[in-house]
Amino acid sequence: MTTLRLPAVLALTLALAACSGGEAPAEGHAAPERTGPTESSAGLPKGVIADGEKVATTAGSGGQACADCHGKDGNTPLDPSYPLLGGQYADYIEHALVAYRDGQREHALMSPQAKGLTDKQIADVAAYFASQPTKLTDLSHM
Amino acid sequence: MRPTMIAACLALALPLAATAQTAPPAEGKSNDKGAELTYTCQGCHGVTGYKNAYPNYHVPRIGGQSQQYLVNALTEYKKGTRKHPTMQAQATSFSDADIAAIAAYLSSLKPNHKK
Repeated sequence: MTTLRLPAVLALTLALAACSGGEAPAEGHAAPERTGPTESSAGLPKGVIADGEKVATTAGSGGQACADCHGKDGNTPLDPSYPLLGGQYADYIEHALVAYRDGQREHALMSPQAKGLTDKQIADVAAYFASQPTKLTDLSHM
Repeated sequence: MRPTMIAACLALALPLAATAQTAPPAEGKSNDKGAELTYTCQGCHGVTGYKNAYPNYHVPRIGGQSQQYLVNALTEYKKGTRKHPTMQAQATSFSDADIAAIAAYLSSLKPNHKK
């Protein structure tokens, strides 16, 4: 009996280890090499919400203010394809704007919008939208 | 049951099962297929406050997000025009119908959503 059981137990253990080893949260360690801007928002200054409100409501390099397309609170998009911003994590918004600005992410409307933004403006506008009432939720309640 | 009877039953049942796929849901509507497919998303998007290891930022909240935006995002990850190693790997495994179902379900979620 034991000669059959041990290999089966080993095989099962290896299979379980292989399954858990693929867990997505560890994926970040295997990120591909990046040259140039890293998309990381780690070097940005701390965002100031009041300054961010000004950024959000002032037309910039792209010709529109953020609020024009996303709504003043980030929750009333002009078009169904525009994302809701209200209550999104500030550092995620920063990451997206840095990616649009520096070219890792391309969008006909967002790329020119982000082009002229300074690090401080990105940090501020991200803090502003993050502070707004939210219709967003994570998936922890499923 | 006789073997030929069993074979006949299978021959009838399998095509019926194959055609019972759910159609992509209407705008704002959700269905069980979408809910089922999004269980896998919870590993990152369902851990409150979870951050990627590198680059270091919060995994975004996607419940309640615009349905069309989610379709576009997953499609771009699938095509590789939007870059993120984990998301590209996830999206490649979904069909267009899967993406539509996922987006419809996620967009229907409300804050403090309880099931």
